[in-house]
Amino acid sequence: MKILVVDDSKAMRAIVKRALSTLDRVAGATIVEAVDGKEAFATAQAEQPDLIISDWNMPEMTGIELLQALNDAGSCPSFGFVTSESTPEMHELARSNGARFLVSKPFTPEALDDALASAV
Amino acid sequence: MQLAEIELDRITGDIFAAILGLTLDGHRASDTFPPDERVVTGVVQITGDFEGAVSVQLGENLALRAAQLMFALEPGELTDEEVTDTVGELANMAGGNVKSALGGSSTLSLPSVTAGRDYRVTLPGTVIKDRIGQDCDGDLVVVALMQRDDTL
Repeated sequence: MKILVVDDSKAMRAIVKRALSTLDRVAGATIVEAVDGKEAFATAQAEQPDLIISDWNMPEMTGIELLQALNDAGSCPSFGFVTSESTPEMHELARSNGARFLVSKPFTPEALDDALASAV
Repeated sequence: MQLAEIELDRITGDIFAAILGLTLDGHRASDTFPPDERVVTGVVQITGDFEGAVSVQLGENLALRAAQLMFALEPGELTDEEVTDTVGELANMAGGNVKSALGGSSTLSLPSVTAGRDYRVTLPGTVIKDRIGQDCDGDLVVVALMQRDDTL
């Protein structure tokens, strides 16, 4: 399994990667990273990940714009958000664009594992 | 949720516990850093139905410790960029949680971070609605919620 972690914060990418490393559900997965939606779109085309875990609010291209761009390109793998913002409108927008989950920061590895149950 | 119902201490405590594994100990008597202490400040602005900002301030000692925990690195291995990124992300999470609690349609900015000694953080046109100091193993964490005030 290959997972693309997208966040403009290097610290948060480190937190997400560390949480993933503790989860049996994704044991042995290869993790690749991108710093914003624009880089993630290119990385997704090149690396063909099985799952993308993305922040929402990022420079260049936001997480929801990334999801929409991947849908438009017809190449969207399983996709979920890990974001500090979590409003009902964001949940609806994410869901309507095909996102499998939206986990709010701060999160625990258990919360991420629960979310991944619907995505992998 | 109304602005007065926002619990900055709970929001910050949850972030520090979940992300850093650190416990914040209630309100501290002082919410002011000593003038000779280097302080790292992260700020995010909220625009839309709510107009304001959230700031998170840590002394350099705690900022380094937080970055160590975030990146699982030793002190000597950390770069300034990683410390800045850590405090920015703490502010981002605090601001995002405030924005979500307030509801409505608003946009969260990307975080900005500054560091130095003996300075004040001022956002022109805003007033401080809440400001708390919390203790983290002897180090101070200060969180503030500002709201735009058009009468200023």
